[in-house]
Parts: sequence; structure tokens; C-alpha cells
Amino acid sequence: MKQITLAVLTLLLGSTAFAQRKIDYVEYDLPNGLHVILHEEHATPIVAVSVLYHVGSKNENPDRTGFAHFFEHLLFEGSANIDRGEYSELVEKNGGTLNANTSQDRTFYYEILPSNQLELGIWLESERMLHARVDSIGIETQRSVVKEEKRQRVDNQPYASFITETFMRMFKEHPYNWVPIGSMDHLDAAQEADYVNFYRTFYVPANATLSIAGDIDVEETKKWIDKYFATIPKGEAINLYRDYENLTAEEFSAKYGVEKSNFKKESFTTPTDAKAKALIKKLSNTAIDIPRPEKTDERPDGVIQDVVYDNIQLPAIFMSYRFPDQTHEDMYALQMMNDVLSGGSSSRINKNLVEKQQIAQFAFSFAYGLEDAGMGIFAAIAAKDQSLEDIQKAFDEQIERISNELITKEEFEKIRNQYENNFISSNSTIAGIAENLADYHVYYGDADLVNTELQKYLSVTREDIQRVAKKYLTQDSRIILHYLPKESDDSEQDKN
Amino acid sequence: MKAYFFAIALLLPAISFAQDRSIRPQAKAAPTINIEDSEVFKTDNGITVILSENHKLPRVSFNAVMGSTPEAEGSLAGLSEITGSLILSGTDQRTKDELDNEKDYIGASLSADNNSVYMSCLTKHLETGLSLMSDALMNANFPQEEVDRIIKQNESALISAKSDAGTMASNARSVANFPKGHPYGEVMTEETLANINREAIVEYYEKTFTPEGSYMVVVGDITKEEVKAIVEKYFASWQGPASNKVELGSGQFNNGNRVIFVKKPGAVQSVISVTFPMNVKPGDPDYLKLNVLNEILGGGVFGSRLMQNLREDKAYTYGCRSSVRITENGSYFAAGGNFRNEVTDSAITEILYEIEQITDDYVKDAEINLTKSSMAGGFARSLERPSTVARFALNIIKNDLPKDYYQTYLKQLEAITKDDLLMVAQKYFTPKNCNIIVVGNEEVIDRLKQFDADGEIEKLDAFGRTIKETIPADISADQLIENHVLTMTQMPNMKKAKKALKKVKTMKQTMEMTTAQMPFPMKSTRIWTAAGVQAEKMEAQGMKIQSSYFDGEAGYTSNMQTGKTDLTEEEISAKKKTSGLIPELNYAETGMEYEIIGIEMKNGVECYVMKTNDGESESYDYYSKEDFKKVAVLTISQTEEGTQEVATTISNYTESDGILFPSEMNISVGQAAFDVKVTSIELNGKIDTALYK
Repeated sequence: MKQITLAVLTLLLGSTAFAQRKIDYVEYDLPNGLHVILHEEHATPIVAVSVLYHVGSKNENPDRTGFAHFFEHLLFEGSANIDRGEYSELVEKNGGTLNANTSQDRTFYYEILPSNQLELGIWLESERMLHARVDSIGIETQRSVVKEEKRQRVDNQPYASFITETFMRMFKEHPYNWVPIGSMDHLDAAQEADYVNFYRTFYVPANATLSIAGDIDVEETKKWIDKYFATIPKGEAINLYRDYENLTAEEFSAKYGVEKSNFKKESFTTPTDAKAKALIKKLSNTAIDIPRPEKTDERPDGVIQDVVYDNIQLPAIFMSYRFPDQTHEDMYALQMMNDVLSGGSSSRINKNLVEKQQIAQFAFSFAYGLEDAGMGIFAAIAAKDQSLEDIQKAFDEQIERISNELITKEEFEKIRNQYENNFISSNSTIAGIAENLADYHVYYGDADLVNTELQKYLSVTREDIQRVAKKYLTQDSRIILHYLPKESDDSEQDKN
Repeated sequence: MKAYFFAIALLLPAISFAQDRSIRPQAKAAPTINIEDSEVFKTDNGITVILSENHKLPRVSFNAVMGSTPEAEGSLAGLSEITGSLILSGTDQRTKDELDNEKDYIGASLSADNNSVYMSCLTKHLETGLSLMSDALMNANFPQEEVDRIIKQNESALISAKSDAGTMASNARSVANFPKGHPYGEVMTEETLANINREAIVEYYEKTFTPEGSYMVVVGDITKEEVKAIVEKYFASWQGPASNKVELGSGQFNNGNRVIFVKKPGAVQSVISVTFPMNVKPGDPDYLKLNVLNEILGGGVFGSRLMQNLREDKAYTYGCRSSVRITENGSYFAAGGNFRNEVTDSAITEILYEIEQITDDYVKDAEINLTKSSMAGGFARSLERPSTVARFALNIIKNDLPKDYYQTYLKQLEAITKDDLLMVAQKYFTPKNCNIIVVGNEEVIDRLKQFDADGEIEKLDAFGRTIKETIPADISADQLIENHVLTMTQMPNMKKAKKALKKVKTMKQTMEMTTAQMPFPMKSTRIWTAAGVQAEKMEAQGMKIQSSYFDGEAGYTSNMQTGKTDLTEEEISAKKKTSGLIPELNYAETGMEYEIIGIEMKNGVECYVMKTNDGESESYDYYSKEDFKKVAVLTISQTEEGTQEVATTISNYTESDGILFPSEMNISVGQAAFDVKVTSIELNGKIDTALYK
């Protein structure tokens, strides 16, 4: 008996080493449609407050690209209750940090604060959602700042334009045709009204997920969320409120046929005047129509091969294939296939192209998963005096091999171990947890993947990996970009 | 039931609009911040083990950090970096492929650089992880084909660096802030890379990767007892020489602003870095104050002066920041960012304005309060990472900080005043003596002259090497020498000049030399006689440190450590070529090789450059084009340790009996710089040469 107990104990102890920490959370919707996710843990006295707006460059008008990213800048300019420049100051002087980022699919804002400042963080984000400052001064300044960002991150960065160059060839129809940084001409051409409309369409509670993690008390946090977010009007009523703050009495009554004075700021959603009441009710029940493109099946028509000249010294190659969207079941096998090819120094691409053949200075591949479509990219910078043709040939050999042969058992075990390691390490910060929870909710409709996604990877087989390699690494449908050094002749430059 | 609904109805208005959003939330009571203690113990072979235990995730990391001070590498610059990238290239037991496979198989990370080896893995794989790490750390064997491969890879990387503005700026910053001979002032180039071979790599590895004086930083899911046992198991057999700890000299300080331009064809932005060295170390009480000051000026916060002025107000840039890098081995300040070509000069003006402003006046209360809170918050956030506590413990030991430094960090931060900040700003910031580095398109260069103290922009290549712009000389070498002699003797023609020089039978010159490396001044006495004797003796605090004697045919040098060494034949021949009160006068007869190179700018002066070679060393002498005075000398000789350069600048001449002699010089050799002041010159006095033998 005793022996059995011991064995059971050993088993239990053994398995705790495998089990990753479970991330507990609560989630719910507010009546105005805002989705809320809360995760409580007290290891460090800090909290992360984040809001994910389900708007990225793919929601933009083709004549107004760069808007989603531009808003990421603009929405630090303050609100009706926060002066210009004060937004970051409020966070920083209270010991916090803040930032935001924009992808093709979403815009993500966050603050990390000492836990006694949680209410401040919630208030700040609610201000951004209800009535951010979208005016010409902020637009002018941020337009220049964004142009500098593009120069710094894209134009002046060797090879950095490859993302733009690849996406525009891969997607002719879908708005993945352009990338988040967008067109500076479009930003210049846009009027203040374009910016205001973008805010009124996408910056609304039903298009957002509030995710908070860290040293919080869930009940108290819910109260503050009620106070600051549940009070944000539902549906089109939010824009009625924005008009109430921004329009003159004449403009307001002309637009709505109701006197502005029939609304009171303090009790905006519960006016006493019958017409005002009716208007609120009607607009609250009018959902805002958020334009979203469809998932796309478009793929390159054959092999598209082009040369891009850049301010570089060593040539480079970028080969791209259409992958499915990130939620497609095949993406798990494709990610693992990519790790056989390019995960770690013992991976096939590194061993062959960089170490054995020494034809590439860097060589790697990655699987780029987005909401509506995905992409697999093989990239290499040539070693001194090596040709891109040889690199392409070496890549093709690797693609052929992984499509035609099962990966070895050792490789399979290796990548499974790597996934376990990555998964355990991935939720080590509260900011990371807040972001992961929001992402899984928005893209997969299942925040619990934060705890269960490893199983999806561990159920992929060697046969799956070969199958997806064959299916998606299509040599007859791909984009091949060769990057070559521009003649560094100054007169040449002047022409640009 | 009804009462229940009523209660809910009462609650409802609370979530309608019945509150004033303009009222800002108040903070609750500040949370307490706990810093766990680290365990520290030392092993028999001299490793200081620092453990920060944290069981939140089933992971452990081991970081072995070596204890030696970095060394200057001279003609092998880049050696340590190359060695670091080769440590994981195979051991006596494992090939590189085996090492990579075993590491990836357990999903571990394993990395190495010039000074450390790091491993992190899941707790259950710890034994495998450590067996790989200790093998690489102790038994790296640098296979020749891997050495060749890494060198080839670095050749390509050096080519890429030419299109990377950030790397170019950082290279320029290294050579601008630190002198030759300081490891921070060195940049790997194609030439130094070509000099690196396996032998040098093995030597560096054996000397540097040694247990005595090293640190093993352990973080994560492991107890002290387990660490003790496992360190014993994997690292007890590690042997090697003691770490080499030396004091490195300081950075090099400018006199006036110096503009340095690095050309990047096709650039649409200029990378600007306004930078200067600082004499401060991590353990200094000024350290934290300098960090607060930097935060206000241009640290991480959006509210910093540089960010608000150059981004939020002027929209010149996506980001303008400053940093203070303070290390045991050298420290500097740098401010800058990326700016579109058209505003390059305006951006420099604003950056200089902000640096100057912060040394002129108190910071505002609001600024200091914001910064303290922001730094306190950053401190609290950093504690989320288990590695932070271990890093704290390592800093305390390495920098000799008080044991409770981090426990009292927030108190120290709170105690900093406006006066403290103005004090450190004035003590360390040198707004009139900055290196202004611009990497960019050549179209911006004309607008940069205004910032340079002497109006001459120095051009460097991608690796911080001076691009000399030499124009052909309009006179011959002999004409240059004649003009120089006429200037020095203040005579209208050579006949009179030679006559004046003939009258000088003896000369005795005394000098005082000071250097930052020595607390006391040294005294040097030089004699010269028309009979051919040249001698020099150098004393410090009454003790003879070094002397030399040459009678025209033979001689010796002598110094405290090595005693007397006779001059070799080559040295005697070289001495003969440089004899004479004005040696140039005798070049033609003594067999000195000399030629005029052209006209170059030197220290802001237009100069004729004459190259000489006496068989022992090569020398570039710079003569002012305006008055033919010698303003600088660069002597390059090959020694056993490699190329040695001695750079001398001459800043002042005084007259003795009608002849001009230099009276102030600055001599720099490697990282040492000497200020030399001539205290007396006596011509035709009686000299007892025996006193100098």
C-alpha cells in the first residue's frame, strides 16, 4: 500500500513539472457591447490595463490607408477631460508606462501602472473610448511624427520595405494589399472630417475588448468598469453624445431635430424630454456598422518574380507563399513545419544555408498568421559574393524535402519540446497575459486558448506536417523578390 | 420580492451617466514593494554564485559572467566578439551540430558572448542544459573550419554595416568618446578582422573564461541546496588563471564642439548623436542623480524635454531620446534620434539647447516629481522579472554598492533635489564640448559647419576611421623645411638662420608633465649640445624613472623596471637622423627619408604634411600653412605588442635668445595623455653631461 502511495506521489510530482500554470480569468459583456476580461494575480504590485480595438489597416478605405496606425498616435492627444500632452504625463507621473501598436487587424493600447492606480488606468482608457481629442492641431503634429516614423522604420532601414513589397503582390483584392504604415499622401489628403468619421465608426465599445491583468481585486475592478465604461452610450448613441459635446446648439438641432438643451451632460442617457428620450432609445438600438473585409482565398497567379533596388550592400531574397488565416486548423501544423525549417540553430535552413553551404549571412523562414489570410516567408541575406540563385535553389531543396519526406522522429520530438518550453514561458508577464487573453478572445472567440493551445500543437502529427508543406508550399504559386543594391550615385538619388 | 427589485432599481442610476467624468480618480494607498533577498556564496575555484529563487514558472536560467576587465585589442580589434560567437562552435566532446541538436531538443536557449555564457531551460531539463553549458564554457575547442566560417560571416557583416546608419553612428561614437588604446574606443574593421586567427582566439578564451573572479547568476525554480550541489557537479573541475582586473582610463574630452560626419548615400534621415564622455562609475553617489537628470532631459518617458520639444512640439522626429551609459570601464552621455534631412541642423540646435538649458537652470518641480514617480514605477515593474533581483545582487557585488542599495532605492530616489540635479549637470555635462555625430546624406553637410568649434567637419567612414582629405602641396619638402627654419629662427634668410643656430652650443630644457593616470606631476630635463650629446631624464617625486643618453655615436636607455639597455644599431641610426636643434635642417644630409604629402586640416589649422621615416618609425609632421610652425606630430612605430601611435599637439611657442621653442604640448600614447608644460629653456649654459649619464 505504502509503495503505491509513493508511486502515485511521484507521478503527481512528476506531472506538476509538466503542467503549466493555469491562467484564471473572468469575462463578460457590458450592455454597450464592450467585452471585459479580468485576470487576478498578486506576485508583483502592478496592473496592466489594455483595450484592443478590432480595427487595423484592413478596415481602411483604399484611398485613406494608414488611418488605423495614425489613430494609434492621435489617441494620445488627450480627451474632453484630458489636455493635450497630458495623457502620457498622467500615466508617467503616477509611476506607469504606456504604449500602443497597430497591425493589419487590430489596434492595441495599454498602460502598466502600480496597482493602486488601477482606477486611473480604467478612467484613462474610458476617456479615450468616449471622447478622444480628434482635432486639427493633433492631426498636424502626428502627421509629421508618423512620416518620421516611416522614414526611420521603413525608408531608411535596409530591406525593411520587403513587407510592403510582398503584401502588395500577394493581395490584389483584399486590403492586406497595403500595410499599416500606409500612404503618406493619403494622410496628407485626408480632411479633419475623415478622421472624425473613422473615430465614430471604429472607436466604439462594441468594437473593443478591455483586458486587465495583475494585482487587482475583481469585484472592485468591476465597479470601476461600471463607473467609467458601462456609462458609455450604446450603439449610435455614443456619437450623439460626441455631437452633444462638439456641435453648437444650432448644428445639433439641425442634425437631430431635437434641441441640444434637452440633454444634460450629467444624465445624458436618461433625459426627461420625450423627444430626447426617443432619440436616445432609437440610437442606442442602432448598431454601428463596422466595415470588415471577408476572409480571402486569393493567391498569386503563378510565380511572380521582381527585383527591388534598395540602399543596401548585400543582396537578399524574399520568397512568399499563401498560408491560411491564423485560426485555420492547418496553421498549427504550418507553425511546426516552420520550426523544423527555421526554429533554433539546429534547424534545417540555418544548418544548410548559413553553416554548411555558407551562402547566406542570415536565412530564416516564418509563418505570418493574420485574421483573414496568412503567409509563409523565406528570407535570406546573401553572404559576401554569393548569388541569390544559389540561395533560392537551396531554399527550394528544403521545401522539396519537407514536402516529400516525413520529418525525422528526433526533429518531431525536438519541436514538441520547444513548443512546451515556449508555451510555459509565454505567460510570464501580466502585460503579456492581458494581451494574449484579448487576442484569443477577438480572433478565436475563445480566451481559454491561453490555457489550452499547447494541446493543439501537441496533437499535430508528422504526417500533418508533410501534408501542409505539400499543400501550401506551392512552387507554381509564389512571390520571389530579389533585393539588389542601388547604385549609390547621388544624382540618381535626386531623381527620387 | 418587490423590495429586491427596488434595490436593483436604486443601483441602476449608478451605472447611468450620473457622475462627473472630469473628476480624476485618486490613487489608493501605495502598495508595498518587496525585494526578495538573493543567496550569494563562493565556490572553491572562485566563482561567486548568486541565486534568485522564484518558483512561479518551472524554469531555471544560469548565466556565467566573467570577471576580467575588457582589454584593448589594437590590431586585433573584434577578437573578443569573434571569440564570443565561437564558444558554442564545438567542444572536445561535442561538434557544433551535436551541441545545437541537444540544445534545441530540450527547447533550451544557450548563448554566449565575449564575456558570458547563458543557458535557460525548463527545470526538468536542467541537468542536460547544464551539461551543455558547462561543456561549452570549459571545453570550447574552436575548430578551424568554424573559425573560418565566423570570420567569413563577419566579413559580410562588415559590408552590411555600411548600409546601417545606427551601426555607423555607434562606431563613430566609440572613437569620438574614447581614445585609441581604450577598449571602448575600438571598432572592428576589415583589417583587424583579417589579423584575427585561431591562436589569438584560443589565447583570449583561456585568459578570459576562467572561474576565479567570475559570477554565476542563477534565477528561477531551484533551491539553494540544489544549486550548491549542481554547481559542484558541473563547475567544480573548471580551472584557469585569475581574472585580470585593471583600471581603464577615462574617455577623451573635447575642447569645443566637434562635428563628425559619416556619409550614408541615399539617406532620407540623418542619425544624430550628440555625445560626450563622463568620469563617473556605477558605485558613485552621483549615479542615480545622473539617471534622474537624464530621464528629465530625454529618458524613457514621453514627457521628457527632448521628446516634447523635438517630437510633440516640432515634429522633427519619431523619437528623440538621451541616455547615460555608466559602466565600470568607461561612461558617456548621448542624445539624438533620426531626423529628416531638412531639419538636421534645426534638430542639433534644439538638442544642444536642451543640454545647455539643463546645465543652466533648476529643473521644474513638476519635472522632478514626474520623473521620480516614473522611475519608482519602473523600478516596481522591473521586479516582475525574476532576473531583476539577481541583477541587483550582481550589481551590488560588482560595483561595491551598500548591501541595502536596492532596498533603499526608492528612499534614495525620493531624497534627490533640484540642487543635486543642477550639481551633476554642471559637473558632468559639457554642452560646449560635445561630439556631434551625424550619419546621413551629404546634402546636409554644409549646414553642419556652424556647430563645429573650428568650422572643420571631420569625416569618418562607417567604422570610425578618418577620411583624410588631402590636397596637393604647392611647395616642395625642402622649401617647407626652409620656411620652417626661418620661422623658428625668426631670420629673413637661410644664411642668417644657420648662423643664428650655430651660435647655440648647448640647450637645457625642463618640463613638467601631468596625466590623469598619475596623482603627481613628473619632471623631465632634456639637454642637447652642439658636440652631439642628447640626453633626457624623467623624475617623479625626486626619483629617476627613466633616462636616455646618446653621445652622437652610441648610447642607452634606462628605466626603473628594466635597467639599462644599449641602443641598437637601428636606434643609433635613427637618432642620428633626428639630431640637431632643428632636426629638419639636417634631413638632407643624415639620410632621413622625407616627402611632402600635401595639405590637410589638423586641429582646425590648414597644414602642410610631411612624412618622414628614420628606419625605426614613421612620422607625420604637420606645419601650419600660415606661419610654418609645427602644430602636430603623429609617430607610428611597430613594436612587439603591435602598432604604437604617439600623437603630439603643440599649442604654444615662446622665444629664447631669438629662437622659438614649443612651450605647451599634449602627448597621447594609447589611452594615456600627458600635458607637457616647458618650465625653462636655457641656451649656452654650462652643462655637465656626466649628470645625465
